[in-house]
Amino acid sequence: MSFSVGDTFTHVRTCDRYRPIYYAAASGDFNPIHLDPEFGKAAGLGGNILQGLCTMGWAVEGFVNYLGDPGKVSKVTVRFSRPVMVDDTITVVGKVTAIEGGKLTAALTAKNQKGEDVLKNTVVEARV
Amino acid sequence: MPIDKKYIGKKYGPTTYVVGAEKLREFAYAISGGVPSMGFTGTGAPKGLNPLLHDAEAAKQGPYGDLIGLPNFAVVFSIAPFGQAVTDPELKINLAMLVHGEQEFEFFEVIKPGDVMTSTGVITDLYDKVGKDFLVLTTESKNQHGKLVVRGTWLAVIRHS
Repeated sequence: MSFSVGDTFTHVRTCDRYRPIYYAAASGDFNPIHLDPEFGKAAGLGGNILQGLCTMGWAVEGFVNYLGDPGKVSKVTVRFSRPVMVDDTITVVGKVTAIEGGKLTAALTAKNQKGEDVLKNTVVEARV
Repeated sequence: MPIDKKYIGKKYGPTTYVVGAEKLREFAYAISGGVPSMGFTGTGAPKGLNPLLHDAEAAKQGPYGDLIGLPNFAVVFSIAPFGQAVTDPELKINLAMLVHGEQEFEFFEVIKPGDVMTSTGVITDLYDKVGKDFLVLTTESKNQHGKLVVRGTWLAVIRHS
């Protein structure tokens, strides 16, 4: 597998109705703001929101699909800029910005169907 | 009231976590659009999922000799000291006012079934601005061989209530 500066990759995931529950079961994050629409509304969020770390997981997944090997990922940095709601579709777009000294760096964006950033300042690195 | 800066340097943990093969699979399924269940509601591995994440036979022939976790499976065990910090009675954090602002992970070793992870955390920064507290916690998780597996930097933002 060869990698080049300027390579791009795209990854799309939809937050289906049960995704926050599935992610809660897998991760152990059962905060009611993720599971209970009524609790989410009472917290001023307009409903239940997906765990930010699941959104980060989608960013990592897109990068893993590009790399072909999950064990090569060496770093991920994200800022959670907007909640992901049920039925949102998130598009992750990555672009390789540098490859040097055995380290590949890519910058990512993650936007919802309205084009709003749900993650910002997202950078991933891998051992190549 | 802002959180007192004297808590910079306060330590949490150690916490331990034993990694199981089915948990690694379930986590990969949940991220990848599947159902995290090996039971009757399960639907199997999502299409296109990397075999290293779920197919033990294929993974044994692969570069790591066993299944591995998605790198961000690290959240499952490394979140424990973060949880202890934000629920520390001395810090008096109102969890309803807390959001997870930023996250960084550095991954040094792959995560395999049977690994025993020991995680510790330390408050590395505390500051307040524009009516919010910012708490930075750094966690380190080591495996049973004493090797550093993941370092996490967690930023919690707490609105003053």
